[in-house]
Amino acid sequence: MQAVLSLNGISKSYGSIKALKNVSYEVPEGSVFGILGPNGSGKTTMLSIILDILKADSGSFAWFGQPGSPETRKRIGSLLETPNFYQYLSAVDNLNITEAISGRGNAADIDRVLEIVNLLERKKSKFSSYSLGMKQRLAIGAALLGDPQVLVFDEPTNGLDPVGIAEIRELIKSLAKRGKTIIMASHLLDEVEKVCTHVAIMKRGTLIVAGNVDEVFANEDIVEVSSQDTDHLHNLLNGFNGATKIKQDDNKVQLFFPQGTARLEDINRYCFENGTTLNLLAMKKKSLESKFLELTND
Amino acid sequence: MLSLIKIEWLKIKKYPAFWWMLGIVALTYPGINAMTYYGYLKATTGKEMTNNIAKLLLGNPFAFPETWHSVAYFSSFFILLPSIVVIMLVTNEYTFKTHRQNIIDGWSRAQFITSKMFDVLIVSVIATLVYALVALSFGLYADSLNANRWAEQLQYIPLFLLQTFAQLSIAFLLGYLVKKAFIALGIFLFYYLIVENIAVGYARFKLNDIGRFLPFEISDRIIPSPAFFSRFGKDAKASYDHALSIVPEHVVYTILLTGLIWFICYAVHKRRDL
Repeated sequence: MQAVLSLNGISKSYGSIKALKNVSYEVPEGSVFGILGPNGSGKTTMLSIILDILKADSGSFAWFGQPGSPETRKRIGSLLETPNFYQYLSAVDNLNITEAISGRGNAADIDRVLEIVNLLERKKSKFSSYSLGMKQRLAIGAALLGDPQVLVFDEPTNGLDPVGIAEIRELIKSLAKRGKTIIMASHLLDEVEKVCTHVAIMKRGTLIVAGNVDEVFANEDIVEVSSQDTDHLHNLLNGFNGATKIKQDDNKVQLFFPQGTARLEDINRYCFENGTTLNLLAMKKKSLESKFLELTND
Repeated sequence: MLSLIKIEWLKIKKYPAFWWMLGIVALTYPGINAMTYYGYLKATTGKEMTNNIAKLLLGNPFAFPETWHSVAYFSSFFILLPSIVVIMLVTNEYTFKTHRQNIIDGWSRAQFITSKMFDVLIVSVIATLVYALVALSFGLYADSLNANRWAEQLQYIPLFLLQTFAQLSIAFLLGYLVKKAFIALGIFLFYYLIVENIAVGYARFKLNDIGRFLPFEISDRIIPSPAFFSRFGKDAKASYDHALSIVPEHVVYTILLTGLIWFICYAVHKRRDL
């Protein structure tokens, strides 16, 4: 499968600050590619480079196998950092400019995308009269113009209310279902977990890991148990086979197993046979958040 | 090219400041010339001897063909007005971050600068049209007997266009590099109204008139003061003739400077982070 986007050793500094350090990866066609990272990790810098807003100090990138150019950008619907529109123009007038520059869409299509992002009724209002969430939705609408095969979304749910967030999530899922490639930067793990097929994790300009979501977040099974005497239980469980790690957390004990190998019955039986009755026995799914913190920790 | 102009027109046509500028220019150009004209009428009509002398000295600066020259000269004092719009049109792009969005949507960086050059050209052409209409009206109104001489000195129309485009290009460069509307306007006003005037005046007497190579003065010299200034004695006549003689030379300097300005814009925009 051809990569829609490939980055090759991209580096970028602002003065003495290294914003990106030798970042390389590929975005496969048809994937929903999440770029995760704490604030200031270089997500937007990276997207700015692939959209020719910033110049990389070194390294190269290719869209559809060709070096980035105005022609490749015209095939991509993008929302970068903030909604950028002419304040004194209406939504329709702004989209007319987007359409004229990119060659994506037409008058009917402008109505179509405004409908998708729920702005059809306000299409004649000036951009400056829009709320933050409406501005964000217009920017998403502009990206959708002409139904491009590739979409770049930088923090797409910024400024949206919970309903809006859910709508955008559904929108992204339906776009993905139609075979679109979506590149999405976010610091919201939840967002990425719910929609992404691939993920790249960045920290302070360095790419920590990139790949399939299931592989990157290869989860462990965690079992939580407790009884009257936690210390005693901890000692006892040290003798239980199969757990990779045992940890005491307040008055609970956590056992870690490779994914899919934890069997609650066995633990229960083991404790009971050794004279301890449990008052808690639960399988806990490791949250993406803790995995993320683990990956981005020093 | 045409599509760039069309897109710029989409941006400009609903921009209120643009229409305000147009309105103010449409009032100011006739206004300043009418003031001068009535000053002229006051000095020349009447039965006193001095009135007749004045009439003899001045001729009628607003009759054909002198009107093309006089109106160009007086109107060009007000380059400030279209400059404000030019500065706003470029700094707006930074404020709204649309200078980024235009690129993201598929313009090349060179296309962005070209589109802005068309903005400056559009404003220059409009200012020139207003000037030409005003000059024409004065010519017909002030002395209809001379109307048959309307086609003389028409070179002031392209000269006015060149001067306006050149000076607005300086305004554009400022806005483009400074990025903030009010700072750019402040620098523009301070330099245009104060610094350069003092420098040019000083250089005229002390430094062999080297001030004529300052950015605005270069193109100011392509429209010298009207002919009646030459009628106040031998020295005035000599300096008027000299002013006329260096016009072709200054046309070349103006084109070179304006070319350099746009070259800088293209070169900087090609490289810089947006």
